[in-house]
Amino acid sequence: MGLPIANQIRRLRFEQGEMTQSELAEKIGMTRQTVAAIEAGKYSPSLEAAFRIAHVFGASLDEVFQWTAERAG
Amino acid sequence: MSFREKSAWINLAVLLAVFGIYFGALVTGRVRHGLESLHLLLWCVGGFVVLQAALTAAAAMTTPGDGRGPLDERERLIQMQSESLGYRVLVWLVLGLFVPIHFGHSALDMANFGLLGLVIAGLVVAVAQIVMFRRGA
Repeated sequence: MGLPIANQIRRLRFEQGEMTQSELAEKIGMTRQTVAAIEAGKYSPSLEAAFRIAHVFGASLDEVFQWTAERAG
Repeated sequence: MSFREKSAWINLAVLLAVFGIYFGALVTGRVRHGLESLHLLLWCVGGFVVLQAALTAAAAMTTPGDGRGPLDERERLIQMQSESLGYRVLVWLVLGLFVPIHFGHSALDMANFGLLGLVIAGLVVAVAQIVMFRRGA
């Protein structure tokens, strides 16, 4: 069972001029591997990191991350 | 592979290689206890430091960008969880030292058992980090 938080990071990256994971990582002060893990739903970022990601995309937190109650257990 | 994951692999490999040589020599009787084993231990510790430093520098050079910054939150979490696990293993191994001491082992044997415990704990930390990095935790 995956983490209970889904995200739209991959789609938002491509909508932002095909931003790479490395570029996003640099903007939020994380490694590319961490961004990849967040995108794949294998790691839940901290609240601060989530806000930083949303800020990069100019989107609200809700638009970037979605809580999936069924997976919450 | 990130720089931190490479560092974990380097830790694992160097610990296994260097202390494999040391404990292998002790167990097979290739070095005698006393000055000979101390000499070998000093060489192994020195070799560990040099090898670790050289391989880590090489890893940093071959990992542009992300190897040079401070740990990010996921890397800090992995470090914390792996070190916590390693600490718990070390505690149990230290408690286990009370067993051989009752069977008449020498002070030198006890010191080597202690060193083995440290090495095993270090291996546990390295393996835990590698597993967590590989799983994208």
